[in-house]
Amino acid sequence: MGYERDGVIALVMNAALEGKVYEPVTLEIDAGFVARFASAVGDDGSFVPPTIVTAPEIVSGLDHVVADQELGLDFSRVVHSDQEYEWIRPVQLGDVLVARSTIESIRFRGGHEFLTLRTEMRDAAGEMVVVARTGLIVRGES
Amino acid sequence: MTTALLRFEDLSVGLDVPPLAKVVTREDIRAYAEASGDDNPLHQDDQAAIAAGFPGIIAHGMFTMAHLASCLVGWVGDPSALKRLRAAFRAPVYMGETIIAGGRVKSLDPSTRTVLLDVWVTVERAGTTEWPIKRSEAEIRLA
Repeated sequence: MGYERDGVIALVMNAALEGKVYEPVTLEIDAGFVARFASAVGDDGSFVPPTIVTAPEIVSGLDHVVADQELGLDFSRVVHSDQEYEWIRPVQLGDVLVARSTIESIRFRGGHEFLTLRTEMRDAAGEMVVVARTGLIVRGES
Repeated sequence: MTTALLRFEDLSVGLDVPPLAKVVTREDIRAYAEASGDDNPLHQDDQAAIAAGFPGIIAHGMFTMAHLASCLVGWVGDPSALKRLRAAFRAPVYMGETIIAGGRVKSLDPSTRTVLLDVWVTVERAGTTEWPIKRSEAEIRLA
């Protein structure tokens, strides 16, 4: 994996992409989605599970970085190490969330690569609903 | 939800959140992969998981975090009270294992009626306690 620059394949992520912002993704929190997600996590479906925002976060963040040829993320070595959600307001049935992910940081330490993604989710009125942060580790070849 | 609403006045530092246990099945993990859109083969394909050094597929960290959120929401009785949840994933969860979510009140701020909690998820494996979610934190604001 890795990325190509000047005809050379780098074996680590391209740290120059820190700060890169991906195209926003829109996802509606409709009744069917809430029912499926609640069932999958063992909730009774009487409320919107707070972590339902994982779904828009994956589409706007993880899916983009995995497909990003310039970044050179080796997904086969990725471990999800940290996750944080801050709910500015509760997610409600009928919300249309626009999720936009940014590469917050790329670091190298101890033979491993560390990628932090920040995803902001706003409602149709443009008001912030959730801020998510994902920490991924690309394990070094051992 | 049938739980009565938690009252700020009833809380004290050191109080335990009632633990919530759940057996993790392949069906759960398949349903979570579909609902969340996380289709990493580590969670669906035993061969891919074995190639990555695990005995078989593992649960999504986010599945375990969702269970922790369910534990907290069930305790509080109000999903809108959860303001922040941070999870550090420190051990895998295998199929058939029982994950136990728990927490403890770390601090209370009466001016904002905010509760900070240490939270975690454990698994008993071969006589040892493993920590799929370790040294993590939740913030809850009560009405």
